[in-house]
Amino acid sequence: MSDEAQVEGKAYDARLLARLWTFVLPYRRGFWMAFLLAVVNLAFALAQPLLLGRAVNVAVGGDFARLSFWGFTFLAIVVGEFVSNYWQQYLTMVVAQESLADLRVAVFARLQRFPMRFFDENPVGKVVSRVTTDVDVLTEMFSAGAMTIALDVMKLAGTVGAMLWLDWQLALVSLVMMPVLVFAIDYFRRMARHTYRAIRERIGRINGYLQESISGMSVIALSAYEARAFEEFRALNADHRDANHLSNKLEAALFAMVEAVSTVSVAAMLLWAARQHAADALTLGVVVTFISYLQQFFVPIRDFSAKYAVMQSSMTAAERIFGLLDLELEPQPTTPHVPAVVRGEIVFEHVWFAYRGEDWVLRDMSFHIAAGERVAVVGATGSGKTTLIKLLDRLYEVQRGRILVDGVDVREWDVAALRRRIAVVLQDVFLFSGPVIDNITMGHPDITREQVEAAARHVNAETFIRRVGGLDAHLRERGSNLSGGQRQLLAFARALVHQPAVLVLDEATSSVDPETEWLVQDALEKLMAGRTSVIIAHRLSTIENADRILVMHKGELREQGTHRALLAQNGIYAKLYRLQYAAGEGPAARVAAPT
Amino acid sequence: MSRLWGYVARYRLRLAGGIACLIGATSLTMSVPLLFKRVVNEIGAGQGMAGVAPILGLIALIAVAQGVVRTFSRFMIFNVGRDIEYDLRNDLFAHLERLPVAFYQERRTGDLMSRLVNDVTAVRMLLGPGILNFINTPIYYAYGLSIMLSIDARLTVGALAGYPLALYVVKRTSAMLMERSTHVQEGLAELSSRVQENLSGIHVVKAYASEDHEIRDFAALNATFREASLRLARVRGFVGPVMSVVGGIGTLVVLWYGGWHVIQGRLSVGDMVAFIGYLNLLAWPTMALGWMLSVLQRGRASMNRLNELFAIEPAITSPHDATAPATCRGEIELRGVTFRHGGPLGTAAALENVDLVIPAGRTVAIVGRTGSGKTSLVHLLPRLFDVDAGTVLLDGRDVRTLPLGWLRKNVGLVPQDPFLFSRTIRENVGFAATPNGVDPVGWAVTAAGLDRDLADMPRGLETVVGERGITLSGGQKQRVTLARVLASAPRVLILDDALSSVDASTEREILDRLRDFFDQRTTILVAHRITTVKEADLIVVLEQGRVAEVGDHGTLLAKGGLYADLFREQSLEVELEAV
Repeated sequence: MSDEAQVEGKAYDARLLARLWTFVLPYRRGFWMAFLLAVVNLAFALAQPLLLGRAVNVAVGGDFARLSFWGFTFLAIVVGEFVSNYWQQYLTMVVAQESLADLRVAVFARLQRFPMRFFDENPVGKVVSRVTTDVDVLTEMFSAGAMTIALDVMKLAGTVGAMLWLDWQLALVSLVMMPVLVFAIDYFRRMARHTYRAIRERIGRINGYLQESISGMSVIALSAYEARAFEEFRALNADHRDANHLSNKLEAALFAMVEAVSTVSVAAMLLWAARQHAADALTLGVVVTFISYLQQFFVPIRDFSAKYAVMQSSMTAAERIFGLLDLELEPQPTTPHVPAVVRGEIVFEHVWFAYRGEDWVLRDMSFHIAAGERVAVVGATGSGKTTLIKLLDRLYEVQRGRILVDGVDVREWDVAALRRRIAVVLQDVFLFSGPVIDNITMGHPDITREQVEAAARHVNAETFIRRVGGLDAHLRERGSNLSGGQRQLLAFARALVHQPAVLVLDEATSSVDPETEWLVQDALEKLMAGRTSVIIAHRLSTIENADRILVMHKGELREQGTHRALLAQNGIYAKLYRLQYAAGEGPAARVAAPT
Repeated sequence: MSRLWGYVARYRLRLAGGIACLIGATSLTMSVPLLFKRVVNEIGAGQGMAGVAPILGLIALIAVAQGVVRTFSRFMIFNVGRDIEYDLRNDLFAHLERLPVAFYQERRTGDLMSRLVNDVTAVRMLLGPGILNFINTPIYYAYGLSIMLSIDARLTVGALAGYPLALYVVKRTSAMLMERSTHVQEGLAELSSRVQENLSGIHVVKAYASEDHEIRDFAALNATFREASLRLARVRGFVGPVMSVVGGIGTLVVLWYGGWHVIQGRLSVGDMVAFIGYLNLLAWPTMALGWMLSVLQRGRASMNRLNELFAIEPAITSPHDATAPATCRGEIELRGVTFRHGGPLGTAAALENVDLVIPAGRTVAIVGRTGSGKTSLVHLLPRLFDVDAGTVLLDGRDVRTLPLGWLRKNVGLVPQDPFLFSRTIRENVGFAATPNGVDPVGWAVTAAGLDRDLADMPRGLETVVGERGITLSGGQKQRVTLARVLASAPRVLILDDALSSVDASTEREILDRLRDFFDQRTTILVAHRITTVKEADLIVVLEQGRVAEVGDHGTLLAKGGLYADLFREQSLEVELEAV
């Protein structure tokens, strides 16, 4: 996913265009319609100089009636051109917007099924720009790139064809400058390929440098590095400016040259025309037609540079988007296990896990939790408690050993079925902006409003939900208009309404006001009733009420048993207990801070 | 805008040159249809090649000259735009460097980025293509109108009849375009914040298997965005065809009305050719009018946003008349220091009336619970923040009277959160290195206990870290940050819980290696590991922004106060860690 590193600066890549075409395919009728209109439009455009020439001839001949006839025809064509031109542009945009909207959804849908590792490795900002900025660049390709270039080529061919048909000799003379132009454009294209790529790379470097220095400005200040940082930035900035200076020169030269060539071509044509007309082999009308054709002919060539740049950046964007689409999804078994009833029995068998390489976060973990059992997990920061939760929900794959739920390896489960039966409530409750109810149902249409109301009531969330404006009230981003305790309760309602067989909870450490605290405790008690619960405990009452406590230390399961038995053992648990639960709030909050 | 004129003035000569070339090139261009008119008339009169060759030769000459001059005009003007963009970006960066840490705590990186990238671009568009079209359009019109009027006034009026209509359409649509493209921009912003939110909460999405719902939701939002884009396309697609129809109507008038005049013998075919030529030439500048309006508006708005940034006065700067002391002993004193986050009217005081003397050359530990003000205290020494009341003194001088660069060179702070630039480890460590005969980077990485880690990396010190390189562990990052400060060999060294992610035995090892280094300088250790704190010459215990206890380990322990409590808790932690 590196941004500009491997980009070659191609402006045309058949493979990428073919893949893009698959997204256009559903709208191919619109596409071909637009194409057809473009051809009609082209015909209208080519007809105008022809009519002009006819009119000149009749005017020279003094025939006013015929002049009027050509005038009316011309009017009709102008109107026709307007209509076809507008509809062609509009239809092109419809096709572009429709197919790129599909592409955007495809990328988004794909993202939903990437493994968690992907999100660990890729900063959110970068991934977001794949869905937004990069797709947006492709829109431009439709409006100002591929389509336009195809039409330009047709227009050029059409004009040449019309001129040859009218008077092939005059046409050849008119095109006498073409070799020069072709050579110039080819030179430009070769230069531009590198220059435009350099510009994009260099602006990327400027952005990267800015991003980093803004985030690390305190380090720059502390190291008294300002002068040198400025010098580094200035150098990058100068590189970017120089590349742009070069491209300005290239573009200016191309632009001016095309204009000059256009004028010289008309002059050359007129020279031959003078000879032919003097010999009575050519009418004045044809001369006027040729002038008009030649003026049309060079406009698309003049704008070539802009289109080239658009194509080049589109190919880069397409490359990046398809690169993302080609990444591997979360593994799903071929015959996924979808049981009718889930009991909630959990077994870890010699589980080893590392986020990176061989930095084991869990080592040889083995335990058995019976259905309906209430288990507390304790351990110091970094002992691997949170990882345990993530593995249970199969957000990551274990490297060695296996995890069984109801006797079936989690890798054999249907991922969605497994996750829906295991409710995870984390310390830091994540809420989405939008209605309260959506945050509880998480969008599952099979959950009724009544069920949501019942769940909210059951976990003591009803009162505050009413206070914020009911189930349809909108939450701000991250639920910032709710207190910590309220967010907890909402998360409980979310968990409960999904009727999980297993409740996995990372208990909140932050103390809330006593009233809410009581509500949370009470709700938790109700939530745990009748289901397997695995709780990373931070509260004394939780560990005391647990059927069993698992003591984790440095990624290993070191002790297990009831509160009393473990205290009597006077091992790790006893120390942890004194440190986290008996010594007051302060250090407990620190030691058990979320990792 | 006056700031902008300042930049423009720097390049006035080149800009004037570019504008002169532009006037020249356009004048040449505008003479061509007139010459074509003569040629066509000559041809009409039966002249052969010899008759028209001189004028055509002249036209070819003009074309070439025009090409050369136009090339110069375009790149000179556009390059000035790029030069000003360059200056503006440099000045903004230099300005950002002078703004204090507090500024960056309030601003989002994304917002600052968009000012330095998008707004600067909008200003450049105003200056490059903006100026070009601003000058070009009146010239085109002046020439075009006067020549056409001199040929035939009534035909001119007729041929240009569509133009007011075009102007009206452009003006009307530019307002609509503005409104609709704002909608599209907003839609895009909404889409991206939606994706942003989804990706930030992807663990919840997965945990409740609500991917399908998220996709449906996104698809709905996406459809809204698509509709907004199509609404825009409906207007945008209108402008081009309107312009070509206006051109077509002009041609129609020339054809019909002009043709009739030709029949009457009042107009030549050459005149018709000239008219069509001028109509063609005027089409683009007319279209550019609407575009220019939006470029002007955007450019002005962006310049305002940049000025807003420039207007923020750097709160912490080097005093003008500050002289750097010859040496730094490293004695630190806080006198009645009060400090709040967010300035004098900000939140509850992080430090309240703190008096403290740290003698030169000593090792002092600062302990206290989370939020007791330890970090705030050490941030005041290199002036990452300034006090709200009281004074911080270094060697008896108020730090606010010392040159900032000198102060920060002598007071080295290793912050809590390590920050590495995506460069090589050598560059990250050598960032502010003080050359002292020996290799400061080599020494610093060894002292910071990085030597073994480096030995495992094939490229050693040249390993690139961060986004474009390998990811280091939290402990490794902290040690690179430590090495960076060690390499700069400050007189006062502050470690702000700087080895919290490093395991205890490695920390021990590092501190042992640094013993000699500490002996030669004032060292302040903010730490919670008891083994680190125990050996300090002096231990300062903070509680809720005040100094609660001061003394050495033995005294404080005997006192049985807050330190004794902390010691007990931490001993347990150490025991646990050792299990």
